[in-house]
Amino acid sequence: MITSLLDQVGSTLLFLQKILRTMMFKKLKVHEIFEQIWKVTVDSFPTTAMAGFFVGAIMTVQFAMQVKEFGALGYLGALATSATFREVGPLLIAFMLSGKVGAFTSAELGTMKVTEQIDAVRCLGADPIQEIIVPRFVGIIVSSFFLLAAGLMMSVFGGMLLGELFAGVNYEEYLRHVPLIVSPVSILSGLVKCGTFAVVLATICTYQGYSTTGGAKGVGRAVVATAVTTMICIVVMDWMTSFIGDIILTMVRGFRP
Amino acid sequence: MITLIAETLTGVFTPPFRRKEFFQQLHFVGNKSLFIVVFCVCFAAIVTILESSFHMKMVIQNDSMVPGFAAVLILRELGAIVTALLLSSRVGAGYASEVGSMQITEQVDALKMLGIDPVNYLVVPRFLACVLGGMMITIVANMACIFSAMAVSQFYLGYTPGMFLTSMQRFVDFKDLIFAMIKGACFGGVIPLVACYFGFRCQQGAEGVGRATTNTVVVSSIAIIVIDFILSYTFSYLY
Repeated sequence: MITSLLDQVGSTLLFLQKILRTMMFKKLKVHEIFEQIWKVTVDSFPTTAMAGFFVGAIMTVQFAMQVKEFGALGYLGALATSATFREVGPLLIAFMLSGKVGAFTSAELGTMKVTEQIDAVRCLGADPIQEIIVPRFVGIIVSSFFLLAAGLMMSVFGGMLLGELFAGVNYEEYLRHVPLIVSPVSILSGLVKCGTFAVVLATICTYQGYSTTGGAKGVGRAVVATAVTTMICIVVMDWMTSFIGDIILTMVRGFRP
Repeated sequence: MITLIAETLTGVFTPPFRRKEFFQQLHFVGNKSLFIVVFCVCFAAIVTILESSFHMKMVIQNDSMVPGFAAVLILRELGAIVTALLLSSRVGAGYASEVGSMQITEQVDALKMLGIDPVNYLVVPRFLACVLGGMMITIVANMACIFSAMAVSQFYLGYTPGMFLTSMQRFVDFKDLIFAMIKGACFGGVIPLVACYFGFRCQQGAEGVGRATTNTVVVSSIAIIVIDFILSYTFSYLY
């Protein structure tokens, strides 16, 4: 099991290297990239926005119950927003997106592979990585980053609405303490997480799609593998970004925040 | 979809009960997913406790209540939902591609020809296994969460397990564990229903299976988040 795991990790990294080399040394298909960005964004926006909205709502309901015990409802908005931005939001929305974008892309690429469309591209003398993979890779990174950021914005709205409905905190009060607690560092850490998750997602789903074998069943297997692998990698990356960010902050400020 | 749900629920109470299938599926849902779920959930718990210590220090300058808060957050929310999302991608996608391939290779029609009800044969054991497995795996995941949070707070924040447990006791009830179990069971029930629905509607070819799997993951994740919201809202009146 360990060997097969290492094998997977190694071939994914080799694939990533191949993509990056192609991106650097060969011409980018800018038109294709924009088409991909447009398609992915339009396709997944409603899902992401909805997930973000509900994540914000859930966090607010949970925090409201705890904060009420201390009579600190004024801090509800700030705490819920901060927690959603730094930690829960990127994680859950990225899970959502790995189901939507990741599974879709690997199914699409896997279908192209098993119906030999990728071999056809190679037969025509074009490089399939340059023609098919790179536009998707770049497109997914850019658009998932924007989608995750948009989901985070939606989570603020969800939190505001539930703060009003559930805890009786009106919008102004909800937002009052936000600038105090949600520092630029929090927003930055949320955005860094979004960026990391986007890269992880793009790499894994293109790799799994490109290495699909064995007909319709193989496509199903590739989709399952994509969903599971991305989720594991996202959780691990989440931990690593938090940890490394903490270390960097400590070094910059000279003390633990 | 509603027909499928109704048929499944009636199928639970009508013989033949397929015990062997049920245990096979339980093995798949429970044992084989356990490693991944526990692994991911532990990491999520570690990040949660680090981040919440960061917050508490910002708001009230001391973080003596961090373990309690983190434990509440883990038990009420994170443990159940992260587990369910992982299960939906692993188990749900697996079921959809399995049932989808059966559909396009006409094995489902073959079952019908033999006089076996495909819902009773395929969906009901999976449904029961997922409800039970989801419930159990949520509990195990929550326990693993608390343990890893305890370990990290020992090494990183300087709380001994004793302090952790004392602080946890002030916030956490036994009710929380029961509610987590209910959440796990509800999420577990959603996954096979969605997966089998899309699996049965799968169209011919590799593209169809891919699309069925994708749809399953998306719809079941959304359903889980929405159900989680509804359950959180309902339970908040019961504390």
